[in-house]
Amino acid sequence: MDSKPTIDPKHREALESFARARASRRQVLQSAAGLAALGIAGRSRSVVARSAAPSLSPAAISAAQRALRQNADSAQAAVDAVNALDPKPTELNVVWEAALQAEDPKLFSGPLWEELTGIKINTIEKPFEELFPAQVAEHLGATGAFDVLSMVPSWTADFVSQGLVEPVDPYIEQYMAPADLDDYHPLYKALMNYGGQRYGLFDDGDTIILYYRTDLFEDPANKDAFKAQYGHELAAPKDWTEYDEIQAFFTEQGGGNSWGGASQRAPGQVYGWFSEEFRNRGGRFFDDETLDATLDSQAGVDTLTRMIESNKTMPPGIETWGFPEVLAAWMAGQLAMVGGTWPPYGRWSEGTTAEQLNWVPETQVKGKVGYSVMPMGHSLHNAGFSLAVSADSANKEAAYLFIQWMTSPTISLQRVMLPYALRDPYRLSHYASEEYRGRWPNAGDYLDTLSAAADGALLDIIMPGSAEYHTALDHLVTSAQSGTPVEEALLTGNTAFNEITDRIGREAQMEAYENFKALKGSYYS
Amino acid sequence: MDMAETATRTTVAPSGPSYATRRRIEGWMLVLPALLLILGLSIVPLIQSLVLSFQRWDLQSQEHPFVGLQNYRDVLLDARVWAAFLNTGIIVVCAVAAEFLLGLGLALLFVGDFVGKRFAMPILLLPVMVVPIVVGLTWRMLWDNQYGAINQTLSWIAGHDVNILWLAHRDTALFAMIVTDVWQWTPFMFLVLLAALSSVNPELYEAAALDGAGWWQVLRDVSLPGISRVIAVAILFRALDAFKIFDLVYMFTQGGPGTSTESISWYIYQLGFKFFRLGYASAVSFVVVIIMTVIATLYVARFLRGGDA
Repeated sequence: MDSKPTIDPKHREALESFARARASRRQVLQSAAGLAALGIAGRSRSVVARSAAPSLSPAAISAAQRALRQNADSAQAAVDAVNALDPKPTELNVVWEAALQAEDPKLFSGPLWEELTGIKINTIEKPFEELFPAQVAEHLGATGAFDVLSMVPSWTADFVSQGLVEPVDPYIEQYMAPADLDDYHPLYKALMNYGGQRYGLFDDGDTIILYYRTDLFEDPANKDAFKAQYGHELAAPKDWTEYDEIQAFFTEQGGGNSWGGASQRAPGQVYGWFSEEFRNRGGRFFDDETLDATLDSQAGVDTLTRMIESNKTMPPGIETWGFPEVLAAWMAGQLAMVGGTWPPYGRWSEGTTAEQLNWVPETQVKGKVGYSVMPMGHSLHNAGFSLAVSADSANKEAAYLFIQWMTSPTISLQRVMLPYALRDPYRLSHYASEEYRGRWPNAGDYLDTLSAAADGALLDIIMPGSAEYHTALDHLVTSAQSGTPVEEALLTGNTAFNEITDRIGREAQMEAYENFKALKGSYYS
Repeated sequence: MDMAETATRTTVAPSGPSYATRRRIEGWMLVLPALLLILGLSIVPLIQSLVLSFQRWDLQSQEHPFVGLQNYRDVLLDARVWAAFLNTGIIVVCAVAAEFLLGLGLALLFVGDFVGKRFAMPILLLPVMVVPIVVGLTWRMLWDNQYGAINQTLSWIAGHDVNILWLAHRDTALFAMIVTDVWQWTPFMFLVLLAALSSVNPELYEAAALDGAGWWQVLRDVSLPGISRVIAVAILFRALDAFKIFDLVYMFTQGGPGTSTESISWYIYQLGFKFFRLGYASAVSFVVVIIMTVIATLYVARFLRGGDA
């Protein structure tokens, strides 16, 4: 792996224009931020009022701009800038999802940053379910315990309204090469923005895709038998009916030892599968006029009914299967398809010797994996992370420079290729990377599929109370899986949604919902 | 008494606080650190959470206005609160009853001598020493439908594949929680009851034997009356502790499927620390405290006060 920062010619050209047009660019940014801020009105007014412009170190700015003029990229600019800070902090506290995710800052990026800057990175690990409450609690306690926050995009509304995170536009303007900002996939670039300001740098492209076994799909006997049974070719499913047919076909063939497919159905994240299919079928979470929940629409009934029905041809006990169970079965070669999961499956399927992954069964599917956008065309971007500067940090400038360095094209490319970590491609340069595309024979297909999935991805709900809305969706699915009639489960979901909306305030939520709808990826119909 | 004598007496009279006052001050100084600690860590937060329970304090609200008894009214109308109470009650009643019966049986067995007693005793006590979250994690694996030892054992017994989704349905999940709680806490009951049984006057047993009392009569008329107060205290302790059940819900079901296995502690945790509805969570907590205080007071009045036990 070439760790030497390189710069793409198009970046160089953009850098030169950046240097020429600094003043006008600043004006454009300010105007854009101002216009967008008008649109969000009430909820964020207090936040905007709290967000005083940071006082940046002239020496650091000067060092960064010198580096950028010399065609260095944002990574080098960040390193030069932080080394020019006086005083320079000796350490930064970075909160991160525990376990595999944290291996990156602990083993790779943290030590490398310390080597380059002398600043030690303290990685504070929290299990995913504790990340949100832990960060909010530290903010409410005004402890200043964290310099860098891990923010799932759907949490942005709550993080911003509570003033947890610092707007990063003023930093970006001074320290980042504009071409590096443009290098973000448009979906992920938009996710950094809330109410007209950027509140973090996106760092994890978690768009779900479908994985299938090419050896089984291309087997002539399977192709013939499938076509004879269902009347169409055996190929990556384009809708959920086709998916269920393929799943049933291979489950029948497996005789109880292997199955046609599996999707996560355990409580906690199953809401994502409902949320994606529901919107692919034209469902909408709320009535546009009244904001009453509309989960019990025909799309909701069809989605939930199909999900429950589909469970019958998945492995027994699928209702308790989460990420590791599906992964174990897939790696052991017991599944013909994974009905949607996160990108690391693609890398791990091709084998890894990382000791951090010794709990993952040795792959039996190496060289046999095909990739597809999810049935019905729109995959879900589920979770993902942005790195944000804590509003309570005493080292905001250094914290920003660290996240700029982490997410820069050169460093982030290395990070999304780490065999053991869980960060997934999110920059255009990641998808185009020759190094990544050469990692295994069809790595290019993998990256192209991820890119295509991101092009048309659906987003998690991004509104105040999103965690509660998602939990309510999770409850309705798991409740239906345990025997509650579909209509009753959906009505219970409606009630929960309406209670959340009423408590937060319909007027404020209506405005937030309009903002959500304005995002590409909220709905496609 | 002349002037000189008065002056002398005035000079020698003790100055400052009296001995009794000094003792009192010393006493206060000795307990002051503990008092401050209790005030700081317990009383002040308690009062603060009481104040919170009258406020609308949500993560999404910019202001936190006083709403009077609104939160308490909402608690009474919140079906999830009462469903969580019901689940918690089922677990407490079933688990504590089973723990008592098993603990008593073991105590009766171990109060006598038998070969291997010294070896068996520490093994029996092991579960109570394990951290509850570790118990939850271990038993979650045991209850796993695919890889768990429980289904596997049942399959051997039944002679065919048994695939019960223990943690995916409310009734079986509650059953799993009860069994796990019984596994962990029966040793506590056993230990307390064993200590109580060991302290019963042996002369009473000798007298009963001379009167020709059988095993059941001795148990009913000598052993149980002799340890009844200890039984009452042990049940109270265990019930109060079991009422706080959280770890098993967290590890087994996260309150699911849906919200069907939520315990009251789990629900309060969700409200307070996941969704930061601190005002409402405080109100639910105080309702729990009030209900538990009433139940515990009635229980103490019935079983522990006065001569009747």
